[in-house]
Amino acid sequence: MTVREGFVVALVAVGFFFTLSGVVGILRMPDLYTRIQCSSKTITMGALPALAAVVVGEGPVSPYGSRALLVAFLLLVVNPLSSHALARAAYKTGVPMWKGAVMDQVGQPRPDGTDRR
Amino acid sequence: MTGTTFEVAALAGLSLAALLLVRLAKGPTVSDRLVAVNTMATQATLAVIFFAAFADRTIYLDVALWLCSFSYLATVVWARYLERGLL
Repeated sequence: MTVREGFVVALVAVGFFFTLSGVVGILRMPDLYTRIQCSSKTITMGALPALAAVVVGEGPVSPYGSRALLVAFLLLVVNPLSSHALARAAYKTGVPMWKGAVMDQVGQPRPDGTDRR
Repeated sequence: MTGTTFEVAALAGLSLAALLLVRLAKGPTVSDRLVAVNTMATQATLAVIFFAAFADRTIYLDVALWLCSFSYLATVVWARYLERGLL
């Protein structure tokens, strides 16, 4: 195993474990907003090491490496955009927060009526 | 060695996307399902890129680029519908 192959395996493993934690979060989190957080941050940060593995393994000027860089850039632009749009629309239409939520800084009282603004 | 790693990575990403089918089935709101669909699209993009590098077929890279560029449209259109009530 050369050094380059070692880097590829390590990057793929890091990306897999980040993505696994993100998927577990999407399955286990209690309300929509925490699920959106898992979907946007952890999944993006799991995809970037995996794409870096392609860049390292194939070289940045090969067809695969250059497309992997392009997809990484698109993911960094598009994933926060869709997550933000979805969270904003869900909040405006009153999707309930988790009962144990501590704070809502935008301005609604908590689901059980107490106000901790 | 690198090809085998890419193949394993593609299959692992697809198995994680299959786990998300649970959230897609349970809901409870459409927005929850869209979170799962968005993540599955990202995983599908990665799996296609890994498979293209494994099988040495550059034609599949266009599929990955298309998926990555347009998978957010479902979420954005749904958010616009929720906020404004029109498409």
